[in-house]
Amino acid sequence: MAVVAPGGVDPGGLPTAMKAPPPPKVAGRRYDGTALLFLGPTAILMAIFLIYPTIYTIALSFNRGRRGEFNEWVGLDHYIGLLNDKSFINLSTFPPSGAVWNNVLWAIFYTSGVIFLGLIVAVLASRVRYESIIKAVVFLPMAIAATALAIIWNFVYAPDPNIGLLNAILDPFTERGISWLGNPSLVNAALIIAGIWGSVGFATVILSAALKSIPSEVLEAARTDGANERQIFFRVILPMVSLPISVLAVTLLVNVIKLFDLIYVLTNGGPGTASRVIAFTMYQEALPGGQFGRGAAIAVIMLILLIPIMAYNVRRFRSSRVV
Amino acid sequence: MTAVAEPRAAARERTVTERLVRFLNKTPVHIALGLIALLWLAPTVGLLVTSFRPRSDIQVTGWWESFLQFRFTLANYQEVLTSQGMLEAFVNTFLIAVPSTLIPLTLASMAAYAFSWLNFPFRDGLFLLVVALLMIPVQVAFIPLLKLFAPTGLLNSFGAIWLAHTAFALPFGIFLLRNFFISLPKDLIEAARIDGSSTIGIFRQIVVPLSVPAIAAYGIFQFLWVWNDLLMALVFVQRGDMWPMTKAIQNLLSQYGTEWHLLAAGAFILMAVPLLVFFSLQRYFVQGLLAGSVK
Amino acid sequence: MTRSLRFPALLLVAALSAAACGGGGGSPAAPASDGAPASGATGGPVTSGSAGTLNVLSLWGGSEEAAFKAVLADFTTKTGWGVNYEADRQTYSTTLQSRITGGNPPDIAIIPGIGFLRRFAKDGSLKKVADLGVDVAGLSSSYPAGFLAAGTVDNELYAVPAKYNNKGTMWYRPDVFKTAGVTANPATWDEFKTTLDTLVGKPGAMALGAKDDWNLTDWFENIYIRQAGVAAYDKLFSAEGDWADPSVQKDVDTMLEVINDKYVVGGIDAAVGRAWTDAIAQVFKPEPEAGVFYEGGFVGGIATTQTNTDLVIGETIDWFPFPTLGNTDDVTTFGGDVVGALTDSEGAKQFMQYVVTPEANAVWAGTGAIVSPHTGVETSAYPNELVVREAESLQKAAEIRYDGADLLPAGIAGESLGALLQRAIVPGTTIDWADFQTRVKAAWDAE
Repeated sequence: MAVVAPGGVDPGGLPTAMKAPPPPKVAGRRYDGTALLFLGPTAILMAIFLIYPTIYTIALSFNRGRRGEFNEWVGLDHYIGLLNDKSFINLSTFPPSGAVWNNVLWAIFYTSGVIFLGLIVAVLASRVRYESIIKAVVFLPMAIAATALAIIWNFVYAPDPNIGLLNAILDPFTERGISWLGNPSLVNAALIIAGIWGSVGFATVILSAALKSIPSEVLEAARTDGANERQIFFRVILPMVSLPISVLAVTLLVNVIKLFDLIYVLTNGGPGTASRVIAFTMYQEALPGGQFGRGAAIAVIMLILLIPIMAYNVRRFRSSRVV
Repeated sequence: MTAVAEPRAAARERTVTERLVRFLNKTPVHIALGLIALLWLAPTVGLLVTSFRPRSDIQVTGWWESFLQFRFTLANYQEVLTSQGMLEAFVNTFLIAVPSTLIPLTLASMAAYAFSWLNFPFRDGLFLLVVALLMIPVQVAFIPLLKLFAPTGLLNSFGAIWLAHTAFALPFGIFLLRNFFISLPKDLIEAARIDGSSTIGIFRQIVVPLSVPAIAAYGIFQFLWVWNDLLMALVFVQRGDMWPMTKAIQNLLSQYGTEWHLLAAGAFILMAVPLLVFFSLQRYFVQGLLAGSVK
Repeated sequence: MTRSLRFPALLLVAALSAAACGGGGGSPAAPASDGAPASGATGGPVTSGSAGTLNVLSLWGGSEEAAFKAVLADFTTKTGWGVNYEADRQTYSTTLQSRITGGNPPDIAIIPGIGFLRRFAKDGSLKKVADLGVDVAGLSSSYPAGFLAAGTVDNELYAVPAKYNNKGTMWYRPDVFKTAGVTANPATWDEFKTTLDTLVGKPGAMALGAKDDWNLTDWFENIYIRQAGVAAYDKLFSAEGDWADPSVQKDVDTMLEVINDKYVVGGIDAAVGRAWTDAIAQVFKPEPEAGVFYEGGFVGGIATTQTNTDLVIGETIDWFPFPTLGNTDDVTTFGGDVVGALTDSEGAKQFMQYVVTPEANAVWAGTGAIVSPHTGVETSAYPNELVVREAESLQKAAEIRYDGADLLPAGIAGESLGALLQRAIVPGTTIDWADFQTRVKAAWDAE
């Protein structure tokens, strides 16, 4: 599942598309006592391991946080420090740089790349008999660990032409191997391509199912009306898969915010800090860095970035229920 | 876009010539798909081939040349499993992943049942809270959970990582399963209730058996998620003899120079189980993926 | 658990056992790997003792790990205490930090750098050596003052020197030098550049593996101590240091005279993506690509035992002192690891008492993998000439200083010195030293 977050499908985006049916009317108005039995363990676990840590981390982000404890109130110092940290965000140069900017690059290129390629593969595959094989091949990277995916791409990007596939192909044309992961201006592109490779299958499977759900009558009718294939694609098909695409985009954005393993294994944020992203920086500052307050502040920034998506999920869910 | 019209057209093309013409008409499509397949397979095949090549060959020639030399060995696997500790790590990954799947599977099914078929105060509000908790990044848990686990000694066992994985798996599980459970036929459940079945009885005898596909899909996802996890393991698996593969493999990355032969074999051992699950349970796997998005 | 719930679990179990059989079953008597000597990646008890067992965490791998295990085995023999040894080479700081935070510290740990030592000492995680039954006053006769100072925080000893290496060692291939026509080893910086010029294309001048950014900080320090002087070095790596001082950028400029696309084989871009051990291999593998590799004394052990066991000292591997910049032939830097106790268990006490004995250090020195800081170790204890020379070079140096990057605070926010230098060696980069100064100062102030 490569770069996809918990549960394989990201818990964040995907379910939003679900048109949740209204809750069933249970006979009678009385409350069911056994509900406590069914919910109790879950409620306790979620309170201790999700809600309490979230509150703790938010509080810790305003504290020095030595040893991860509350020992010195520092107000917004960590946040101000982060905004002034050029490896976190640097808007003084063009193009900007820093972990936050790298996340922006990921958000734009990874998300659009995955959806674009996913759509292409889905459309092309639907025209041939070996569709399921193509889909399985492209989907395969979704099953494996980001750690393994990173190692696979290590063998693609390595500078030695006897290890790195890419440099072996380019060997006749270049004086010396290109250091895809060692050059600050190439490293993010190289990582994003590896990320796209890992996630296209996800988009393919979802978009392929969406394409199949378009009633054939609609397409027939369009053809009868004299529309050509291009018009059918842009006027009929694209609008009909726009909902799955928006859901995909949200899921992929969540992946981007939580992105860690691929960066950690392939470049460890380097060279320098050129390929750091927010989630990686959080890890780096808190452990091994021991800057717990600062790490907590970065975790809170992640949380803030995810809140719009959280709100979107909740709102969608509520509106779908009312209908 | 002739995706849907195609089968009808195919039925009319009876002769070999007609089929050939149709195939040739699609040549660009076949070429494009061939290229796509190559792009997606080559890196993985390269890793697989490398893992069977002798170290001395890897140092001088690329894996694509090995088909000419045809020298393969199991020594890389032997070394990585025995002397590099990957066999223990494999077992550890298993010991981490199975409870971290079964516990949330059980708890999420129960909670999802309560959210879909039982009446209790603040039901809808609490469910919205679960939806909101879906978004919590694991990063918020590092520091507080380490402090929380400190006096318990859980970090000396797998207990810490089981609990951490379980907590972060629950919101998604509840969400997914609840949305499946409420689509179950209401009449069936009402009938059972009238027949005198208890709440627990309905859950066990009707809801769970009817929801096997959803539960299986969630279980597979969670299992693979934990199997592939590195970040939680970095923080919550602290003893060297408990490391899962994702962490143990880090040591192969920069030991005495990049040990490409061990890295390739190690990565493949890490991938073996997910690939097996993917190929044998593909239907559940993809179903689960789609469950939430496209109905 | 209901029958139906068990279903997916059963499938998984079946799938897994199939995988386990497939993975583990098919290794017939394959020829012994030609790889490096084996060492358990996940540790596990190396020794079991009657008195009890203590946990030891270290970051050493390869020959350093083998050497340490020899010491642990001797410890068990002498004291009856078993050792549960764990090695974590790649994620050491994370493991140590999260174990301490999680209240699950090892009894004994190698402390990776003095910045970490200060942090763990100040937050009370490290136990005072004096409280572990070690005669701290007596140690001054066993170790040179500078070594004990490295383990001291706020006038209190928290860790003892375990091993050290000279970091002023320039490793080279004598055979490559001969073929290329280098007649004498360069002594000065200018001679060094001339030598590199001679080596270009025959087969190449210098290897660099800057993905491990501490290789760059070592370059920086060794130039700085020679170019700016010992006093400036002491100041720079203390809380009073000023990174905006022109001497810092001057150091980088000097560094770039040799770390550039002309001399570094494969070019700077590739070097930044290369692991340092891969760079060692570029020089010391059977078909060398370059003649020179700079890093500390431990390169000898790695090159001769792991990279290429056919290396012959004096013929295919050797070192000369880091080139002088001005009149500085008697100064150099050294790197060392210190060992401290994170619990005051009986086992931890026993170990700390043991590790400062001449006997323990003789066992360690005898492996040839390290240089012992203990004054009770005779040079005859070392098994090869490379190590003897390394030890002697430090003994006769007038001024030796601890690896400066390890002295900096462990929690510098944002880009570290090493990461910054990775950027600095790319041509056309300007470094905002004032910004770095602000962050280093903040980290010192926060200690």
